[in-house]
Amino acid sequence: MEINGVTVSILLFGIALLGLILRRDLVVKLLALGLINSSTILCLVSLHARPDGAAPILQTPSGPEIVDPLPHAMVLSAIVINFAILALALVFVMLLVERYHTTDSQRIERETSEEERS
Amino acid sequence: MTRSASRIRLLPAAILLVGAFCAALWLTFDYAGPGEPDIARWIDTAHTTGSINVVSAIYLNARLFDTLLEVLVFSVAVLGVRFYLDERGRRESVESIPESHVLRLSSDLLLPLILLLGIYLTVYGHLSPGGGFSGGAAAGTGLLLAAIALGADSVAQRFHESILERVEWAILLCVFFLAGISAALGRTPLTDLLPPGTPGRLASGGSILLYNILIGAKVFIGTWVMIHHFIQHRGEI
Repeated sequence: MEINGVTVSILLFGIALLGLILRRDLVVKLLALGLINSSTILCLVSLHARPDGAAPILQTPSGPEIVDPLPHAMVLSAIVINFAILALALVFVMLLVERYHTTDSQRIERETSEEERS
Repeated sequence: MTRSASRIRLLPAAILLVGAFCAALWLTFDYAGPGEPDIARWIDTAHTTGSINVVSAIYLNARLFDTLLEVLVFSVAVLGVRFYLDERGRRESVESIPESHVLRLSSDLLLPLILLLGIYLTVYGHLSPGGGFSGGAAAGTGLLLAAIALGADSVAQRFHESILERVEWAILLCVFFLAGISAALGRTPLTDLLPPGTPGRLASGGSILLYNILIGAKVFIGTWVMIHHFIQHRGEI
């Protein structure tokens, strides 16, 4: 089994997915979501990396051949959208904490179902 | 069924499922991808725009509309943070953490450097790694350091937020207007209005420099607005 960027990114994705499922703390869930985003970025960038490739910045004397710059441009969208999602999700976590005084997702669920019953 | 029992039952199932999913992902992964990438085309794009950074040439020229919607997503996130946190009311004064000489001195030393780095990343986005998004985020994070060291209220006093918010939306309109003009003139998919200039000089790269500065200012303001609202809502740093 070769250890390269794609393998590491799949491993990171699995760890983050486990954190997303198993941890009950909402902030940790958001961290796991950020880790999923990072692993996707690592996968996209390492997929087009070559051992002899240069960064996609043109040198005046023709240096080594550059790698494919398109994934790098796509990754920028992923970073910005992840930033937006995390900021908005943090706001909702803050509102939930203000109301229920906990970041435990199961306790919040129990309290909301109790509120509905009463 | 107690909570811990449900958790113990969930654990092997979750590990099994996620492990199987990752194994399937790993086994079916197509390393070769869809053939050879068309690098020459993107180098041509960079030559047409006069930018040295090929990634900048792609996301601020050939794929400009993608980036515009990205800026829109960022603005909507800032708007969402403002809307939900304003609705919940804000604390009157923000407690700052106790004054510390180390923090104060390091912020005095680092803040100008961080702001300078942000400006450098923004302005040199078409010549070296960087661009509006990273530069704006770096400078905005520098303001967080200032807010920690000097107190959020004193930083906020220097930035008139009501004006800043208008500037932010004006920049967004400006960017869309610029892109709209080039689309109306039929300059798609290469959406350049300005001449490419000499590659490698600061004033080159067509409209990439303009877009970088506008986006950098916008991200800077947006980051500060977000940070300020979070601090105000919490009531402390």
